[in-house]
Amino acid sequence: MIQDDFSVLEPIIEHLKLHLKDQTVGSYLLSSPIATVLVHLGTCCFKMGATQYKDLVDAAIITFIANAEVNEPKADEIATQITEYITNKKIKLLDVIVALKENLTSEEDSKREKALHCLSCVLSKLHPDQLLRNEISVIFNFYKSKFDDDVLMKSTLDGMNSLMGMKYISVTEITALLELLKDEYDAGKFLAATRFFPFQILETMFRTSKDKIVGTPTLNNLFIATFIQIATGEKDPKNLLISFKLNKIVTQEFENVEEFKEPLFDILFAYFPITFKPPKNDPYKISNSDLKLALRSALSSSSIFAHDVFSNLIDKMSASSPNVKNDTLLTMKACIDSYGGRHCVESWLPLWTSLKFELIHNSEGTESSMLNPVTNEVVNAKKSVQSNYQVALDVMKSLAFELEAFDDDEFEKFFYHVFEELKPNFTYDKDLKQSCNILASIASANLITFNKVITETLPLFLENTSEIPKLKLLLMNLSFFLDAYVNVFGETKKETLGQVIVPDNKMFEYKDEILMILGMGLTGNSKLEVTVRTLSVIQFTKMIKMVGYLSRDEISLIVQYMTETILTDSNKNIYYACLEGLKVISDFYEDIVFEISLKRMLDLLPNNASEFIHFTDDEVIPIERILKIILDFTTSRHILVQESIIYLCSKLSVVSKIGSSNDYCFLLLSTLYSLFENNVSLITEEDADFIKSTVEPDLLKIMITDAPIATDDHNLSLLSNVLFFMNLKASISTHQEELNRYNGIFIDEFQILEKPSRFTLPYTKILCGLDKNIKFESAQEVLQMTINLLKKNGLIQSRFENVGYLELLMVLSNKWLSEDVVEQFFDYSDKSIINLEIMTWLGRGLVMKNSKFSTKILENFIKFLSDEQVGPFVAKLFEVFVIDINSLQKFKGINWNNNVKLLYKQKFFGDIFQILVDSYKQTTVLTVKCNYLTALSLVLKHTPSTLVEPFMNDLLPLLLQALEMPNAEVRVSSLGTLKDTAEKFHQLVTDNVNTLVPILLKLVLPEKYNTISVRLLSLQLLELLTTTVPINYCEEFKADVINGLLKPLSDKKRIVRKQCIDTRQAYFELGQVPFE
Amino acid sequence: MSEFINENPDVIEIDDLPSRKEDVSRDILLGSVGNEMTLQRKKLLLSIDDSKSKVLQNLELLDKLLLINPPELTSDEESIEESDDEELNAEGPTDVVDAQEIYDLTAHISDPEHPLSLGQLSIVNLSDIEVHDCGDPKKMAEVVIRITPTITHCSLATLIGLGIRVRLERSLPPRYRITILLKEGTHNSENQVNKQLNDKERVAAACENEQLLGVVSKMLLTCL
Repeated sequence: MIQDDFSVLEPIIEHLKLHLKDQTVGSYLLSSPIATVLVHLGTCCFKMGATQYKDLVDAAIITFIANAEVNEPKADEIATQITEYITNKKIKLLDVIVALKENLTSEEDSKREKALHCLSCVLSKLHPDQLLRNEISVIFNFYKSKFDDDVLMKSTLDGMNSLMGMKYISVTEITALLELLKDEYDAGKFLAATRFFPFQILETMFRTSKDKIVGTPTLNNLFIATFIQIATGEKDPKNLLISFKLNKIVTQEFENVEEFKEPLFDILFAYFPITFKPPKNDPYKISNSDLKLALRSALSSSSIFAHDVFSNLIDKMSASSPNVKNDTLLTMKACIDSYGGRHCVESWLPLWTSLKFELIHNSEGTESSMLNPVTNEVVNAKKSVQSNYQVALDVMKSLAFELEAFDDDEFEKFFYHVFEELKPNFTYDKDLKQSCNILASIASANLITFNKVITETLPLFLENTSEIPKLKLLLMNLSFFLDAYVNVFGETKKETLGQVIVPDNKMFEYKDEILMILGMGLTGNSKLEVTVRTLSVIQFTKMIKMVGYLSRDEISLIVQYMTETILTDSNKNIYYACLEGLKVISDFYEDIVFEISLKRMLDLLPNNASEFIHFTDDEVIPIERILKIILDFTTSRHILVQESIIYLCSKLSVVSKIGSSNDYCFLLLSTLYSLFENNVSLITEEDADFIKSTVEPDLLKIMITDAPIATDDHNLSLLSNVLFFMNLKASISTHQEELNRYNGIFIDEFQILEKPSRFTLPYTKILCGLDKNIKFESAQEVLQMTINLLKKNGLIQSRFENVGYLELLMVLSNKWLSEDVVEQFFDYSDKSIINLEIMTWLGRGLVMKNSKFSTKILENFIKFLSDEQVGPFVAKLFEVFVIDINSLQKFKGINWNNNVKLLYKQKFFGDIFQILVDSYKQTTVLTVKCNYLTALSLVLKHTPSTLVEPFMNDLLPLLLQALEMPNAEVRVSSLGTLKDTAEKFHQLVTDNVNTLVPILLKLVLPEKYNTISVRLLSLQLLELLTTTVPINYCEEFKADVINGLLKPLSDKKRIVRKQCIDTRQAYFELGQVPFE
Repeated sequence: MSEFINENPDVIEIDDLPSRKEDVSRDILLGSVGNEMTLQRKKLLLSIDDSKSKVLQNLELLDKLLLINPPELTSDEESIEESDDEELNAEGPTDVVDAQEIYDLTAHISDPEHPLSLGQLSIVNLSDIEVHDCGDPKKMAEVVIRITPTITHCSLATLIGLGIRVRLERSLPPRYRITILLKEGTHNSENQVNKQLNDKERVAAACENEQLLGVVSKMLLTCL
């Protein structure tokens, strides 16, 4: 059937062929579907006879040649097609050659080139075992005959490369090709793309015929010689990459390399150091570091280069460029690591001499960096390029390691040479840091080098002294050897605590002495001495990190030292060093820290604030310091947090019994609050349940009975929040039961809904923490009663009680009541103060969950603003909608506590902004304008500036007017927003600067509504303008500002004066170029 | 001759310079609402926690909510005047200009030849600063500051003095007279330098020299 169809097709093909042979039409046909038709036909006519295939091949070849170099993917597709014919044995490869014959012998260079390209393409797609030995031979000879045709070189080599990959390739062809390449191929004549193929051929040969080549000595040598021949003088980065790779293969896999080591070395080191910058449109994306790494890997691949490499690298060390030095040092290290100690024996002396020069004359890290309690390892790890100083030290370490691994005696020679040269430095206190660095890096190599160095070096400087400068040096020097310990034996890790067995080493012998010296350094000096004491603490911390070095008793001792120091020392550096130390220790040994440090500190807290804490004979520790320490170092330490909470709660119930202990209770409650707040995600349900069952009864009790809590607004509010956290984290399964229990306590027992009570706030906060999905049957009833209570004129006297009830409304409307139910409670006709407040808080509950009613509510509130009677008050109420209430925030991993949508503020702002602006523009009454601006500024105060950005163009004029409103808070808020604006919208501020500056110059003067904050912010904004507004604009008002700021120089508040001076100075310096 | 005339001066750490101990927290407490008690509480809080403390936020929230008071429906003007008085009182007592303030202004000026400040090099010392001020804004006041060059033949003493003078003239209201002297017995040509430093004409002339102004500008860069 198909064959029948094909007879129909035949004339079409003939016709097409005619067209295709015609060059002009041919090129037109390139993009036409005919080419596709042809290929397609090939697939359709699967069962065609051989002759028909030949015709097809003819046609395909023509298309290929037409497409070559113009549309490569198309040409490639056709080549694949032809390959398929061959694979399916429809035609032979020779048929293709025959078909190409006419073109191959053409006088036209491009025709010949394209024809051979076609053949090579097909060849490259053939399966390696497709061609038989004699076929390979024929085709090889065919290619060989083309070798003198330079135009064809690229395709010839490409074809040869494919042949070399064939399974049945024989030694004869390999030898012939190698000889051709060695003797007749002149790399200089060809472009980089062509030059790539010889390298590839060698790689292919090695891949397919490694054993044959290496196994035959003559072939082995020929291969190497050929490689050297083609690699010499190469400059192209892509070719160099493969050249370096081949070089490495040769030195590692071939025989008799020794004979060729010099030329092999030359074709590598000629490129060192690599200073290559990739061109912009590099198609191969080869980077400088790719080349560097390939070269480094080739150089270090074989020890035959050892002698040449070291002497040459030492020469390069005299380079002035730090990058070259870095490359040199890294290569040095790679070579030492790879060649091994045997090959370093001859070279360590010159290596050391050049390294010594580098190390002694360049140091890094200042004294202050050593005094930084947080180790800078993290910072270093982030840097991708290591400093030369550090790499040079690494080279020393590698040298020590390899020499020791090779032969103990050689290592000793090396070590004592270095040691004797550095030893005098210890006598004369010269270059001590570098000397210790060098010795410590040798020690870091392994156990043997470590012991050797420690035995020889520590006695040089480790002796107790009371001279501060000496002690300081001692501590700094010691630090490097402690690091070496960590390098050799490892760092303490939580997971393997107590499991790592550290081999006996010389550092143990000095343990007692070191502990004693550090202890003396910390306690034996006056409090005025900071450096030595800080260093002692830092070294103590370091010793904790040394795996398996200290016993638990010794760790306890250190914890004790640190605890005493942190309690009695007020120096900032020492405080942070101790804090860091305690944190590190509690990472591994939380129990020790709890027993020795935390418990002791907690026990020091007195029952009565008037008692002094006598720590030692003459030292008195303020309560605040203990609480601060507890807060600072317990964070994210499980046991410590829980124990602190429980202890502080029980302390609180003692303290609160004593009258007038309000401030002390406040401190304790603040600490408790922060402990919860900082560790919300650390505290598990079990912890919370445990804490709650342990402390809640007491807390509820003191809440009612103890005046310092019950009658103090701040304390009661903080306690309420503590109760909030406890319930928030308590097991969810208990929440329903708990709600019923709390309703029993607060509603039934305390009757908070019957008569005004201060305990509504704790109740509200507890509700905040409970699961929103539990059933609260009486929610609506509670809401109604609360509103009734609030509306009873004059019943609620204290504002504190009032706030408690209002918040309760918000929580109920947000969590347990349906929107429709809440909506019924809105009565916009009642403009009484209390009703406005009730609606605000109910409204906030709805706005936070992006309720469908929120737009309506806000529209009504904006209408209230135009009411001259209640407008000013409503403006203030706008703040309630957006102010952040802690118990309603989102905590990570907790989604059951409220219905607060993440983007509600954004929606809120978008909803009100345009209406506010429009209303503002429409009204002419000044007081009403003021209401709009006040509302807007109060909202802005709590809205992240990113949300405001899209509205900036409309907002800015309003902000400028707000600055002149008779209300300090409005001015502050507007200034705050303007500062953000000035930082982000340079152009916008520049456009308005002529209006802004005169206003600001009025605001800096003391006046009714220019509070300290207004004056300060105005001055800050003026200073900011010098950096955001282009200097030519600034120059215009420079003189005005400098004069305008004369008066504020005598401001009664120092902080304002200070800012005024800074701002003035900024203007004085405008355009002034500091002398360099 | 080495590049620096005095290569190894004694240096005081920046943290150890004399400073005003009280009220570091002043900045944060500013602009807050609330009464004396709240202020006291906030100070207490800052002694145990930093300014980002959530407790602080919570405290401010509570105060804010307690303060959203219903408007007085009585005569407006009266209430405004009342609050005005309160407002001014709320700012608390006047901070007088004292020696520490002058020290803070000058101690952070960079030395022209060391990468260190005048305070660190003990060129300016708190004990060598006198402020004479009767507190009446209509009367003249005087600041006397005695500087100690690092070595007795320090050729840069005049430049340092000039830097201090420029700094103080920019920073103090015009009613202050500024006298800059070398501490007795600390310099070989004490009298000449003193004369030069307090000679209006010469100071004015120096301030018109662009290059000199550039040097002073560099010295003052660190004064923030």
